[in-house]
Amino acid sequence: MEISHVPDDSCPKKFALPVDSEHKATEFRLFSFAAPHMRAFHLSWISFFACFVSTFAAPPLLPIIRDDLDLTATDIGNAGIAAVSGAVFARIAMGTACDLFGPRLASSALTLLTAPAVYCTSISNSPVSFLLVRFFTGFSLATFVSTQFWMSSLFSGRVVGTANGLAGGWGNLGGGATQLIMPLVFDLIHHIGATKFTAWRIAFFIPAFFQTLSAYGIFFLGQDLPDGNYSQLHKSGDKHKDNFSQVFYHAITNYRGWILALTYGYCFGVELTIDNIIAQYFYDRFNVNLHTAGIIAASFGLANLFSRPGGGMLSDFMANRFGMRGRLWTLWIVQTLGGVFCILLGKVGSLGVSVAVMLVFSVFVQAACGLTFGVVPFVSRRSLGIISGMTGGGGNVGAVLTQVIFFRGSRYSTETGITLMGIMILCCALLIALIHFPQWGGMFCGPSSKGTTEEDYYMSEWTSSEKEQGFHKASLKFSENSRSERGREIIRSAPTPTDRTPNMHV
Amino acid sequence: MAIQDFLVASILLSCFIATSYGVSFSSLPETLVVTASPQPGQVLKAGEDTITVSWLLNTSSPAGIDFAYKTVKVKLCYAPISQRDRAWRKTVDDLEKDKTCQHMIVAKAYSSSNNNFTWIVQKDVPTATYFIRAYVYDSNNKEVAYGQTTNSNKATNLFDVQAITGRHVSLDIASVCFSAFSVVSLLGFFFLEKRRSKASQAK
Repeated sequence: MEISHVPDDSCPKKFALPVDSEHKATEFRLFSFAAPHMRAFHLSWISFFACFVSTFAAPPLLPIIRDDLDLTATDIGNAGIAAVSGAVFARIAMGTACDLFGPRLASSALTLLTAPAVYCTSISNSPVSFLLVRFFTGFSLATFVSTQFWMSSLFSGRVVGTANGLAGGWGNLGGGATQLIMPLVFDLIHHIGATKFTAWRIAFFIPAFFQTLSAYGIFFLGQDLPDGNYSQLHKSGDKHKDNFSQVFYHAITNYRGWILALTYGYCFGVELTIDNIIAQYFYDRFNVNLHTAGIIAASFGLANLFSRPGGGMLSDFMANRFGMRGRLWTLWIVQTLGGVFCILLGKVGSLGVSVAVMLVFSVFVQAACGLTFGVVPFVSRRSLGIISGMTGGGGNVGAVLTQVIFFRGSRYSTETGITLMGIMILCCALLIALIHFPQWGGMFCGPSSKGTTEEDYYMSEWTSSEKEQGFHKASLKFSENSRSERGREIIRSAPTPTDRTPNMHV
Repeated sequence: MAIQDFLVASILLSCFIATSYGVSFSSLPETLVVTASPQPGQVLKAGEDTITVSWLLNTSSPAGIDFAYKTVKVKLCYAPISQRDRAWRKTVDDLEKDKTCQHMIVAKAYSSSNNNFTWIVQKDVPTATYFIRAYVYDSNNKEVAYGQTTNSNKATNLFDVQAITGRHVSLDIASVCFSAFSVVSLLGFFFLEKRRSKASQAK
C-alpha cells in the first residue's frame, strides 16, 4: 500500500492509492476496497448493476406474467418501451443533480426513489399497472451518469478510462445476470409451494431489496470526492460554478454530440432492446424452457464483463497510434460488424447457431458502446457533463425507437424485427463518417487546412470576457493534454504534455 | 476462454438437433365425440370450479378405425379470440409447433366408450376463452385422430376461465410498507447530511 502525504490545510491526508495533486487516484487496483477511491468504484458499479437487474427483471418472467396479467404482444411491447424511455430525460437531469448534490446523494436518492416501483411490481394486476411499474423502474438507469461522474471525480486521466469502462460494463452486466437470477428465484419460490402466479410476484422483492441495500451502501460508505463530501467541503474559489445556460448552449450546438447520441442509440439502445426481447424470443421460437431461455439471454448481457471495457481499451490503443481518426474508424468498423451479425441473428433458424451468432453479436455491439465513450470526452470540454448525458439519453431513445418500430404488436415476427434492427444499425453507423474535428480530422478527411489547433477548438466555447476572468483555465489544460489525439506519427515537434492524455471514458 | 467453450458446445449441439416435422392437424380425422360440462359462455374460476369431460368413439365411424389407437390426451385449448395478438398461442398445422392446446387435463388409455374425467381447473390456467380437444395417439406417440367440443371454426360452445390473480393481502402490505420505508430512508439521508454539514461548519 503506497501512502502519499499531501500537505493540506489541517493535517496530512493519507490515501491507500497513489494520488495526483487533485487527490485523484493515479492507479486502479481492482481487488482493493480502500476508501475513498476503490470503495466508490465498487459501490457505484454494484448499485448500477442492481438498477439494471431491476429494470430487466420482468423480461425473463414474461411467459408467466403475460398469462397472469392477460397481456397481448402490444402490451408487452409498450411496457418494454416504457422501461427504457423514462431514463432518456432522467440521464440528462442526473448530470445536473450530480453537479448540485454530488454523485453520492444523487445516485442513492434515485435508487431509493425507484425502489418502490420495483416493490409495487408485485401488486400489479393489469397491462396498465404493469406498464407504469416498468416505466418508473426504468428511471433508475440514470445511475449510469452518476457512476461515470463519480469515477471522473476520483480517478485521474491515466486510469479514468479503465474505471469508467469497467463501472459501465459491469453495471450493464445486470441486464444479463437478471435473466439468470429471476428464473432461478422464481423456481425456488414455486418449489417451496407458491403457485406460479404468486411466485413471480414474490420474486420481485429480491431485486427491490438489492436496490435498497445498495443505496444504503452508497450513502454510508461512499464519498463524493477524495477530500470529502460536497456538503462538507468548504467551497473555495477553485470550484467555480459554471453558467448553466452557456454550458447547455455549447452542448446542443455541437453537432458531433447529436451524431454520437444517435449512434449510441444503435449500439447501447440495441443492447437494451435485446435485453427486453431475447428471452421470450428463444422461449417461443425454439421451444426451450424458461430456465434455458434465461441462460441464453443472460449470456448476451454477461459478455459486458469484458466486451465494453475492451471497447474502451481498444479505443485508447487505436488513438495511441492513429489519434482521433483511429478512434472513429474503429468505432465505425466495430458497430458495422455488430449490425451484420444482428442481421444474421434474425435469419438463422437453428438453436445452436443462433446462440453462437448472438454471442458474437453481443461482443461487437457492447464494444461499440465502449468505443463511443472513447470519443465523447473530446467533443466538448466545457459541456462534458451534458454531452455525456445526451449520449447516454440517446442510447435510451434508440431503444425506444427500435422497440416501437420493430417489436411492438404483431406486425413483424421477432426474427424479422431483429434483422431489420441490424439493417438500421448499419445505416446509423454510417453517420460516424460525418464527424470531423478541425484539429484532428474525421474518417475521410484530415485536419482542416486552416491549421486549427486543439486550443482553438476548445477555447471557442468561452467568450473573451469569460477568458479575462480566467474561467477557461481547465479547458486550456485539457487542450494541451488532448494533443495526443493527433496520433503517434504526427506528434513531432509539439512539446510533450506534462500529464498523459486524460482518456476520460464517461 | 469460457466463451470459446460455449461456442464449441453450442455448435456441437446444433449438429444433434434434428429438424423434426410433426403430424399435420389437417390430416387427422375427427373420430372422437367429446363433451364437457361447461355451458357456452360460462365463466369458471381457476382453482375452484371443475370440468367434467367425457369422450367416446363416433358410432358412425367405420369399423376397425380404432385399431391403432393407444392413448387419449385431453387438453384445454385457446379459442381464436384469446390467440389474437399473442403469438405464443398461435395455431399452426404442424402439431410439433402448434401452441393452441397448452394445458393438459388428463391422459388415459384408449377405450371406445365410457370415458369421463373430472378436473379442477388448475391455478396456473390464465384468463381466456377455451374449448376442449382430445388427441388420440398410437403406440409411437404420434397423433392419429382427435375430437373437440367446438366446431371446425372453433366458434361454438366456448367457455371462459377466470384466473387467480396470484396476489395476497400479505404481499400487498409488504410492498406498500417497504416502499414507504425506502422513501422515509431517503428523507432520513437528507436530514443526516444536513446535520453533518452543519456540524463540520460549526468546527
